[in-house]
Amino acid sequence: MNTTAAAAVTASPHAHDRSGVDRIMLNVCLALVPVTGFGIYLFGLPALLMWMLCIVSALASEALCLWLLQHPMSRLLDGSAVLTGWLLAITLPPWSPWWVAVGGSAFAIIIGKQIYGGIGQNLFNPALLARIALLISFPVPLTTWAIPYLNPDLGQSIQILLGNMPTLIPTPDALTGATWLGDSKAAMKAGGDMTEYLSSHFNVMDAMIGERLGSMGETSALLALLGGAWLLKQRIISWHIPVSLLGTLAVLALVTSTSEPERYAPVGFHLLSGGVLIGAFFFATDYVTSPTTKLGQVIFGMGCGLLIFTIRTWGGFPEAVAFGILFMNSLTPLIDRVTKPRVYGRNRQGDVIKHVPAQRRVN
Amino acid sequence: MNYPQLFKDGLWDNNVAMGQMLALCPLLAVTTSATNGLGMGIASLAVLILTNTLISAVRGVISPQVRIPVLIVMIATAVTLTDMAINAWMHDLYKVLGLFIALIVTNCAIFGHAESFASKQPVIPALADAIAMGLGFTWVLVAVGAMREVLGSGTLFANASLLLGPGFAWLETTIFSTSPDILIAILPPGAFMALGFLIVIKRLIDQRLRNREEAGLVQMQH
Amino acid sequence: MSNLGSVLNHDNPVYQAMLLSVSCAIVSLALIGGYLATNDRIIELELQDQLNTLGQVLPADRYDNNPLEEQYSLDDDRLLQPAQLMLARRAGDISAMALQLRVAGWGGPMDLLVAIEPDGTILGVRVVRHKETPGLADNIEIAKSDWITVFDGKSLANTPTRAWAVKKDDGDFDQFTGATITPRAVVKAVYTALELQQSWLASHKNGPQQETQP
Repeated sequence: MNTTAAAAVTASPHAHDRSGVDRIMLNVCLALVPVTGFGIYLFGLPALLMWMLCIVSALASEALCLWLLQHPMSRLLDGSAVLTGWLLAITLPPWSPWWVAVGGSAFAIIIGKQIYGGIGQNLFNPALLARIALLISFPVPLTTWAIPYLNPDLGQSIQILLGNMPTLIPTPDALTGATWLGDSKAAMKAGGDMTEYLSSHFNVMDAMIGERLGSMGETSALLALLGGAWLLKQRIISWHIPVSLLGTLAVLALVTSTSEPERYAPVGFHLLSGGVLIGAFFFATDYVTSPTTKLGQVIFGMGCGLLIFTIRTWGGFPEAVAFGILFMNSLTPLIDRVTKPRVYGRNRQGDVIKHVPAQRRVN
Repeated sequence: MNYPQLFKDGLWDNNVAMGQMLALCPLLAVTTSATNGLGMGIASLAVLILTNTLISAVRGVISPQVRIPVLIVMIATAVTLTDMAINAWMHDLYKVLGLFIALIVTNCAIFGHAESFASKQPVIPALADAIAMGLGFTWVLVAVGAMREVLGSGTLFANASLLLGPGFAWLETTIFSTSPDILIAILPPGAFMALGFLIVIKRLIDQRLRNREEAGLVQMQH
Repeated sequence: MSNLGSVLNHDNPVYQAMLLSVSCAIVSLALIGGYLATNDRIIELELQDQLNTLGQVLPADRYDNNPLEEQYSLDDDRLLQPAQLMLARRAGDISAMALQLRVAGWGGPMDLLVAIEPDGTILGVRVVRHKETPGLADNIEIAKSDWITVFDGKSLANTPTRAWAVKKDDGDFDQFTGATITPRAVVKAVYTALELQQSWLASHKNGPQQETQP
């Protein structure tokens, strides 16, 4: 195998040199540290094991693909596989069994990324794609939420990872409790009143700090904002997508909840529950699967916000962020095409602009 | 007529689903189990045989200007008759495939072969072509159905005795009974993925064969 | 003769028009023949399908009439469309009743079939059609789980009103892991069926029997 020849032909994006990709991946990982650390603190050892398993199996899947494609193994070091596994882990229920972690990471890397041609070529965000595939395939483990501070010991944690959860915990029914989103949806379907539900269940302080049920990295709004602020400060992401996404969602929630508060959830509930903040800062802003122009990014963010609101309010699944972002991912090539900037000296269609003599224009 | 080549084309090289990429609508829609795939395959095979022979038999009287409407009318009739026959005499299968049998009429492979082969060839080659193409389509349907069924339900050929009669109950196998089912495999996305992987496997095999052939040629030259 | 020859010329529009009409006539005849050959059998088989579905909850030895022929339509606010009440008779007396109801599930409308003894005891319940989430709530199907058989033998007399709910709502019936709405809807539908059956019996005391045996 001639490694130098193979290394010379690299996949796009060609605009970044290797250290550039490294720096981005490193910064995103740093931004993920607070939410991940808090998730492990809240949900204990099983969450830590699940997180490590996701990263290891993402790396293993990447290595398998590189070996099959006869690409150099040094590409493992670009950090993209680690980041995909990490991102997947924070979207999963913290006590997911091992087959969810391993199967999801393998799906993300092999089907979500490498089949499209590897880094930079994928249409959908690999981690979110895997999360949806898991949700559809294994609906029970993917909607089983651990309650905070149960602190199982190592033996119990390994049992949980093996999928033997209900036999260990004294009150299994407490574990299968729904998140606020799922719970409020069920209440509304049963003909409940939204204001009544919120006053008895929803608590802004819990949502800010994160002591609640949810995916491993989505519970704390403050820490998600902290990570987002770090990415903005390091100029890894720009404000366009997060602000337009959250803004659209907020405006829609404001209008509907002001007119019919007993049917529609208010702004705070929409912004603080589920994975909206994590989605807006870490998933919607993925370079590969979001538009390149500023205008395109604003359209993309608004589309995500609209879809999230629509699916949450009228859809069949309680969680909407992943579906909304994936749907807009599929429109990204179209948005890029429509918002293509005009090349100097050419019109929007790309035709050369003919020089028109000055005297004929005066009319 | 080179019959071995005709069958090699139908079953592998120029397979309806994997070579020509035709008839994907019924393929993706019904293959939630190997049994459903087999049923759809047999129904398509029956329609192909009926239309190819009929059209070849009357090819002398069809004028080229109006051939399209005439062919469409004949194919639609063949499909409708098959639909009624399956409903009346294979009712259990009809309950599984009911909706999709009428859709065979939109199966472009059938019209394609009526137009490009049967309307230009004598009856015997047209019949052979129908059998080759139909069998080729059937095995792909069964293969995609089997992949999805094993992953999504942990069984293989479940309910085969409903389709083929109680004599085939031995076909019904349970592969996994305890492991969690991967539901996405029997939902629509699973159809696309299973077909995609099958096409990859076919192309890999073709590539291996080509490489070996080239190596053989090089050796012969030495 | 030359005239006939030109008509048989494939390029002649008259020939083409004739070809089209003749082929339409032939296929019409073929379709008529096919219809006549299969239609009686298809109607019989479809009737048999309905009886087979009914047979899942109502054993065939319980009746000697055709329950599909004696149907009543009952409406209720809790249903998406009026329920069909079918009467099974043995030797003229009502031996059982079957109700087909459509209620709202989580994913869409859900059709149930409930068979009840004249005294109000449930013989069996089946979910005939539903759009609930696969893997999560489809345990209401008898093919996936025997959960639906918990209703066998229950009646308004032996189960008090407050117990007609899932365990999460302090009732008698199990919900599924991760799905409460679907079983809740099924329990409510079965309860509705029992109430409808009781009220129908009360308003038709001996009524239909007298109608059929004047």
